[in-house]
Amino acid sequence: MNDKYLKISEVNNYIKSILDEDHFLNKVYLKGEISNFKNHTRGHLYFTLKDDTSRINAVMFLSYASKLTFEPEDGMNVLVEGRISAYPNQGTYQIYIEKMDVDGLGALYIEYEKLKKKLASEGLFNQEYKKKIPKYPEKIGVVTASTGAAVKDIMSTIKRRFPLCEAILFPCLVQGKDAAPDIVKQLKKADEFGVDTIIVGRGGGSIEDLWAFNEEIVARAIFQLKTPVISAVGHEIDWTIADFVADLRAPTPTGAAEMAVPMVIDLNNQIDNYKIRLNKFIKNLINTKFINLRNLKNSYILKSPMSMYEIKMQKLDSLIENLNHSIKNVLNQKDKQYEKIKMSYIMQNPMHLILDKKNKYEILLNTLKLVNPLGILEKGYSLVSIDNKLIKNKREVKVNDLVDIKLYEGKIKAIVKEIE
Amino acid sequence: MEKTFENALNELENIVKELESGNVDLDEAINKYTEAMQLAKFCNEKLNDATAKVNKILTEDNELKEFKTDIGG
Repeated sequence: MNDKYLKISEVNNYIKSILDEDHFLNKVYLKGEISNFKNHTRGHLYFTLKDDTSRINAVMFLSYASKLTFEPEDGMNVLVEGRISAYPNQGTYQIYIEKMDVDGLGALYIEYEKLKKKLASEGLFNQEYKKKIPKYPEKIGVVTASTGAAVKDIMSTIKRRFPLCEAILFPCLVQGKDAAPDIVKQLKKADEFGVDTIIVGRGGGSIEDLWAFNEEIVARAIFQLKTPVISAVGHEIDWTIADFVADLRAPTPTGAAEMAVPMVIDLNNQIDNYKIRLNKFIKNLINTKFINLRNLKNSYILKSPMSMYEIKMQKLDSLIENLNHSIKNVLNQKDKQYEKIKMSYIMQNPMHLILDKKNKYEILLNTLKLVNPLGILEKGYSLVSIDNKLIKNKREVKVNDLVDIKLYEGKIKAIVKEIE
Repeated sequence: MEKTFENALNELENIVKELESGNVDLDEAINKYTEAMQLAKFCNEKLNDATAKVNKILTEDNELKEFKTDIGG
């Protein structure tokens, strides 16, 4: 009787088994807004995904949640990937999320900014690593899709501007998830092939279309290339990561080709200009040398070479004459000096010199006599002294003192009678 | 070293400047002039090579093939 009633768990498990067997529900992609977000203490995430009309429970276990690159929160629009199954205990079905991204451009911008910051901090954009783009490349590697406007623009512009340059296409995918590794592969191929410059890029598109050029592996591949790289990724305004790493960034594919090669007509003009300058120079040089030569030919010496000899002869004669004259002059002068000495007074009268010396002697003798104190006595003066001391003052004697008087001839002793 | 267009053009420019500086004697000047004229000729020939290079594509099999861009003119 009661056999027809099932246990709740039995029906819930039955429903679960039906859901689990459904291939479609095993891999579901959903788009919705997060609400009732709960971050369980054990790290599992529980929330509801909803859109305008419906909602579904969602769970994301720690092993998947730990791989999230953003913090989920209520109101956030997300793209999720997972399977739908039932939770028998509650009699509910829910999506078991394995992968979740922020919906729309937001997620891409977050990723872009994060990678840009990371690579910048590693120095991949630094000016010091930028290689110089060769001015006159003979081989250019073009890494882009083999169809579309970009490749045509690049290759036809190169050919038009600088036909002696060989442009070699290294075709690659430029969008979709396989694009980035393909770009990397072809960049390396071009680098190893040996080209002067590499142009990498694609035509314009949405940010998703250009995304491969914002991938880290592409950026690192560009950085590691030995060959200088010009990037040309569609957008004129927005820079991709590839643009930052490249040695030179062009706004468009055509622009990249223009930066990569010069215009042949400009070069022809430049070479013509050199040729004109060279010819002008050589003409001037020859003219100058010609004039010099003519001047030399017309010079007096070359016209009458004997004249040079004559001038030298004349000079020699005049030198000899001068020399003779000088010697004669010197001899004459010495001769005159000798005569003058010979004829001098002294040499003629040596006795005069002796008499002269004798006279001088007599004069000196008389002068000596005059200054001799005893010489005065001869003239009648006398010296008065007392106790051998000459008396110069009356105060030096008294009346009745005995004084000595020295005469020219002899001495007298006398007594002082009176002092006035 | 293989003579490239760039080397030739640079050399040409240097010789022109050197000659114009006036520090070259006659014999050397004539030699340099001759050399420069040959370089100019080389550059002109390279630039105006009638057999201009064709665009190429390196295929999956690493084969170089002509690549046509199909643009009128």
